[in-house]
Amino acid sequence: MGGETGIRVEEVTMEFRRAGEEPGSLKELLVSGWRKRRPQTFRALNQVSFTVEPGEVMGIVGANGSGKSTLLKLIAGVLAPTAGRVVVDHSRVQLLTLGTGFDPELTGRENLYLGGAILGYTKEHIDRKYREIVAFAELEGFLEEKVRSYSSGMVSRLGFALATARDAPEILILDEVLSVGDMFFREKSEARIQEMIHGGSTVLLVSHAPGVIRKNCTRALWLDRGRLRKLGSPEEVCAAYEQQGRGKSKDLAPGR
Amino acid sequence: MEERRQRLRQRLFLLGQLTGRELKRKYARSLLGVLWSVLNPLLSMAVLSLIFSRMFMRSIENYPIYYLTGTLLWQAFAGATTASVTTLADNRPLLLKVKFPMELFLLTRGCAALINLGYSLIAYGVLLAVFRVPLGWAVLTIFPVVLFLFLFSLGVSFLLAAAYVFFGDVKHLYSVALTLWMYCSAIFYPVEQLSGPMRRVVEANPLYLFIACLRGAVLEQRFPSPAALLAMAAWGVGMYALGAWVFRALREKIYQRL
Repeated sequence: MGGETGIRVEEVTMEFRRAGEEPGSLKELLVSGWRKRRPQTFRALNQVSFTVEPGEVMGIVGANGSGKSTLLKLIAGVLAPTAGRVVVDHSRVQLLTLGTGFDPELTGRENLYLGGAILGYTKEHIDRKYREIVAFAELEGFLEEKVRSYSSGMVSRLGFALATARDAPEILILDEVLSVGDMFFREKSEARIQEMIHGGSTVLLVSHAPGVIRKNCTRALWLDRGRLRKLGSPEEVCAAYEQQGRGKSKDLAPGR
Repeated sequence: MEERRQRLRQRLFLLGQLTGRELKRKYARSLLGVLWSVLNPLLSMAVLSLIFSRMFMRSIENYPIYYLTGTLLWQAFAGATTASVTTLADNRPLLLKVKFPMELFLLTRGCAALINLGYSLIAYGVLLAVFRVPLGWAVLTIFPVVLFLFLFSLGVSFLLAAAYVFFGDVKHLYSVALTLWMYCSAIFYPVEQLSGPMRRVVEANPLYLFIACLRGAVLEQRFPSPAALLAMAAWGVGMYALGAWVFRALREKIYQRL
């Protein structure tokens, strides 16, 4: 592996049993019996290969159900591929999605410690970074309140500030995170990402908004029904993706 | 070496945080909060004593303590396992981010139940004093009892949590099974009242074993026999090993099903 924060995905195929194929309850199991059925599989990813060098920002675009989240889970090490190989230092991967991991019944401060512990921080690290995190999230004065009463923007700001409060370079996976918050916070978080990249971090950026990909990424890839459709500069990939999307919506709504 | 210690410390910090969350959440909207852990066994003891202490007066000497000893251990077990059934489903969004074994979530619920038991034991201690139960060294039996009961509960929790991922009705089935199990644990009646196969069922029941050992220690100042100690250890360690093994074997499938 070239660097510590690189990612290599080699010929990865991921298959799932079709939902509804296996009995979901004991009742179904009893009714349908133990009859052997031919297992029907669904191919979420089909022979996908690519490499991300340390310090790159790779954008990932694709429609819903194109295999984006499956790919992220494979890189994060949550799933193991059916075939192929994912070479990455799983301990450095951080998956950041919106608002997950926070408990609405706890206060912001309690959530920072809980969420930090889940992300793998030590208590001392959170103690040290506490002020910085709160300042970045612009939540001074709200930390003793329950997260239940936060707005969704506040929750995602807190999540972003916490997830990026690490010293060591890492592999950061941002799943639809940069398109939240107000314009000012978005600028600030983009700046933070740039900072991390200069520190040797690698970023995978998933977004439905081609604008975000164009602005932040050095390269991009397009997943289409589990296949790697295009890999190249953000401009090329986004243009191709948009073109296909337009073609589709024209088919569906010829009036427009 | 240093790194390993660092990681262990991080895990412990995480375990503490997650357990804290369980406890805070359990009492999040109640006025008396954690005091309920103390009040709950006391109130149910009062109710049951009112009804049953006359019925079993001749056969059980100190009915309230007899009942309380059984119910405390039972509640700890039932609480830990019931909470564990849905653990993986409850933490689904977190499981994607984790860099630690998901067994930790189950351990968390077990620890929360253990801490609850600790609070309840305060009430227990007060009542022992109120009823003037003389305590001897035998009371130390509580440590092995709680330790092995904890391991036993963890093992059962592993099995249940894994099963729930595949079969949603495990939750309902388990609550029925738990009721049956409770009646078979001789919590509020003396086991001498049973005869025949039912008695053998109760005596083969590991929960009854734990309860009987602690009762003997508290009410009769009697240490458990080596055979009983060994049996408790075997149940605890055996169930834990079985649960952990099944869980490990199913890990990949569990992630796929989530």
